[in-house]
Amino acid sequence: MASHGVSRTAAATERSEEARRKELQQIAAYKDLTDLVNAKISERQYTLEVLGLSTKLLNENPEYYTIWNHRRRILGALLSPQLSDTAPHKDPNELVQDDLQLTFTLLRKFPKCYWIWNHRDWLLRTAESVPGASNARTLWAGELQLIGKMLHADSRNFHAWSYRRFVVAQIERLAPPTTEASSQSLVESEFEYTTKMIKTNLSNFSAWHSRSKILPRLLKERTATAASRRALLASELSLICSAINTDPFDQSIWYYHQYLMSTISPACPAHNRLVLDLSNGERQEHYEHEMEYIREILDDETDCKWIYEALLYLASAYLEVEGGTQAFSTRDMRGWLDQLKRLDPLRKGRWEDLGSTLNV
Amino acid sequence: MPAEMRLFVDKHVRYIQSLDTREDELEYWLTEHLRLSGLYWGLTALHLLRHPHALPRQEILEFVISCLHENGGFGAAPGHDAHMLYTVSAVQILATLDAFDELEERLPGVRQKIGHYMANLQDPQTGTFLGDEWGEHDTRFLYGALNALSLMGFLHLVNVDKAVDYIQSCANFDGGYGTGPGAESHSGQVFTCVGALTIAGRLDLVNQEKLGAWLSERQLKNGGLNGRPEKKEDVCYSWWVMSSLAMLKKLHWIDGEKLTAFILKCQDPELGGLADRPGDMVDVFHTVFGIAGLSLLQYPGLAEVDPV
Ligand SMILES: [Zn+2]
Repeated sequence: MASHGVSRTAAATERSEEARRKELQQIAAYKDLTDLVNAKISERQYTLEVLGLSTKLLNENPEYYTIWNHRRRILGALLSPQLSDTAPHKDPNELVQDDLQLTFTLLRKFPKCYWIWNHRDWLLRTAESVPGASNARTLWAGELQLIGKMLHADSRNFHAWSYRRFVVAQIERLAPPTTEASSQSLVESEFEYTTKMIKTNLSNFSAWHSRSKILPRLLKERTATAASRRALLASELSLICSAINTDPFDQSIWYYHQYLMSTISPACPAHNRLVLDLSNGERQEHYEHEMEYIREILDDETDCKWIYEALLYLASAYLEVEGGTQAFSTRDMRGWLDQLKRLDPLRKGRWEDLGSTLNV
Repeated sequence: MPAEMRLFVDKHVRYIQSLDTREDELEYWLTEHLRLSGLYWGLTALHLLRHPHALPRQEILEFVISCLHENGGFGAAPGHDAHMLYTVSAVQILATLDAFDELEERLPGVRQKIGHYMANLQDPQTGTFLGDEWGEHDTRFLYGALNALSLMGFLHLVNVDKAVDYIQSCANFDGGYGTGPGAESHSGQVFTCVGALTIAGRLDLVNQEKLGAWLSERQLKNGGLNGRPEKKEDVCYSWWVMSSLAMLKKLHWIDGEKLTAFILKCQDPELGGLADRPGDMVDVFHTVFGIAGLSLLQYPGLAEVDPV
């Protein structure tokens, strides 16, 4: 009912009589299985047998959310300590491991299916309070490996990135209370993880985004001084500037540059700032320095619209805090705007609005 | 009108009518968990195509009622568990059919029940909404709840200010929003958050210049729109991106003609329906969002769509 990337010609071939018969058989078998599972659940048969039937069904159709709910009903009963001794049962640890394996196999095939991610999340939260299941922190820590594999297969999978942030929070929550705050936190290793992902692929906006969320916390936990905050900002700027130089046509990179610039704006809310006590003079220096650097790239790349957009952004930020000499003229700004209109006619309306906002 | 700019209205109507006659295809059964939403998408497409009566009203109503649970929530189909997503679809269908009074007559007290089912899924701590009793949360559910509750006149049942605070915690430096706090901006989530803020009357909280710029960059050279930076175009984003731009009054920040041409290329000219990309297999989801995009682009002959 919502398909992506399936070619029409491949799907439209006329079904032979044989294929039709086969499909009708498949339908009958599928409906029998769903009827069976639903009937047994309505009789509250929360047993290993029905758990097995739901595994079979979910392998055929992992989007069938009601069956995931049924599975949680069954597991809830099987993991409960009040289970009667007569019913066949399994070690809680084994039950949890089975479901981790099931969801892992399914996620490899259906990495964007919300219900599978959900179930895994429910499973681990539940396992925390199940007597006899593995140590909760060990279970959560194992998740980082799964996510590593998922992000290796698709480095932009936003389910995997969200789940990563969630898992990190759980591991931090479960750290032994006696350890120091700094050793409970994973912020340093998560920061390194984004560095690694960016180095593999500069165009991975998900990694840049994640970095933008980590930086303020990183500085806070390092109890960074004013000087070390400035040093970090400088090193991030030099990282992104060399990325811009490598591929000025990549918008992911420009977004991160915009992010860094937004943190030095006087309008930036305090909790998002990297440097807490930036003076207007320092802001002006930053803007001038960035403009100078980007104008140098312009010598080789005259047809890259991102350059002109960045220059106009920096110019207007500069004008907001400007106290002294102007590093550019209104004529420069008009020229950059004309280039944007020339290079990027799709967004003509936006460039016209920008012209009237900037009054050039 | 040049041939390549034609919308095959009759074929799309017939395609949507055919959707419920495919019981001999395995796919029909494998997508049962989406049935009620599928019905809403089909019905909306027919309204936009100005063929609102092409599906039988009474049968739709009976089907919707057959998905209702005792607790006031709706499942995707009879026998499927209640969930926010399908409750929202049910309310949207009932609103489209103007059938709330009829429903109330048949099942006295049901409106209150439906309203309370959704209101009870608000998390009092964070202000966001859960999908169901199992605890998944996502800004999609928050938007769905506010939308459906406002359609029923029940917004007062929830803490709107708290929901607004939660949306703000999902905002990113690029002006966009993700599935939750910390998550990367995504066009679908931008739509749900901007939509929810529009319903709450708090568009003033949106960084409109930045978000408008980010949304306009979703348009690619081929005219289509993508969902995030450096991703491929897809017809469904015509709706998420365009409706958000419409709420920000910046529809003119992209090239409407090129987008129109792209959407029209995604039609199946033989059997009707629209696909995610030209030449791909059609489905009702991309059909409705493609047509809704065309309506925002003021394609001639279509009914006007409300961006929220
Ligand atoms: Zn799509």
